[in-house]
Amino acid sequence: MTPKDLLYAETHEWVRIAEEGGRKVATVGISDFAIQQLTDLVHMVLPKVGTQLKAGQEFGEVESVKAVSSLYSPVTGEIVAVNSDLPNKLESLGSDPYVGGWMIKVAISDESSLAKLMDAAAYERQCAAEG
Amino acid sequence: MRLRLIVDPPARGTWNMAVDEALLESAACGGPATLRFYQWSEPTLSLGYFQALADRDQHPASRSCPLVRRASGGGAILHDRELTYSIAMPLASRFGRAADSLYTRVHQSLLETLAGEGVRATLFGGTHASHGASAVAAPPLLCFQRRSAGDVVAGVQAADKIAGSAQRRQRGALLQHGSILLARSNRAPELSGIAEVAGVALSPHTLMDLWTPRLLAALGAEGADISSLSADEQKLAAGFERDRFASSEWENRR
Repeated sequence: MTPKDLLYAETHEWVRIAEEGGRKVATVGISDFAIQQLTDLVHMVLPKVGTQLKAGQEFGEVESVKAVSSLYSPVTGEIVAVNSDLPNKLESLGSDPYVGGWMIKVAISDESSLAKLMDAAAYERQCAAEG
Repeated sequence: MRLRLIVDPPARGTWNMAVDEALLESAACGGPATLRFYQWSEPTLSLGYFQALADRDQHPASRSCPLVRRASGGGAILHDRELTYSIAMPLASRFGRAADSLYTRVHQSLLETLAGEGVRATLFGGTHASHGASAVAAPPLLCFQRRSAGDVVAGVQAADKIAGSAQRRQRGALLQHGSILLARSNRAPELSGIAEVAGVALSPHTLMDLWTPRLLAALGAEGADISSLSADEQKLAAGFERDRFASSEWENRR
């Protein structure tokens, strides 16, 4: 289950690009593959609106039963929205990673960061290689 | 593949965590995979990354012990009569099978080692945490009172957890560290160690020497070269200790 209309980062975040108010906004979450590997999520920390991010920069953290894993921004820009309810309903991520499971929205300030992202087919090949 | 093996003398908690962080950073930047054994210069409570500082008040026996917040997940550990290990290694994906299976591979090699000393231990077999994931019931403060799949358990009805580990995963590298309870500490008297559970007295160094060959095999290493932190890693660790693990902001972040 890898939606074809999204882009994917090597670090397993997905990106949905949309035009909002004359600017490109990236909605970001983590892929179903990543969530399946992170069984039993117990905590998540997300950043605040207004935070400036560069592509590849850590924007949050998620804890499964034993592991704390960093989350990385696939794009460069400013956070304009945060799904602040998500840390309180982590169990929903498993069934709804690509819509309700969004984490942050970033107003893209540098579109060159998009060039490194993969389409669904390329991302599926990466997941298959990682097992 | 050969690993770098570091055997450190007992040190303060903030330094121990800073060294592990430096090894993780080093591995993420193309440095070597490292296996480290260490101990603590005085009984110390380490909190899991997401635990609240105020929750230490739930555990009066360790109230006077110094505290450090780990960068890894899981519950609080009272480090006293134990052996602590860490593994920092480059890793292609922090969500791949290799990261997930490391926990089990390391613990399996430990219980095989313990079996050779007459200690019957098994891996806890639950597929889910028996404490931890529920939003209704808060998990116990102490790691060794929690159970999740792959923990090393022993004793009557495998009721006692004698080893547990936790991970920190970042882009390109993984840190796993864990504790093996050798004997009961009077700072956490509710927890039995190997000495009480199996009647077998093991010193940290004895266990380290016995376990290392099996642990290296479990990690797919052909051997290990005894070494120490590089000068750059020393500086990195000093910075991590000063700016993170010894800072009140880090300690009070939750």
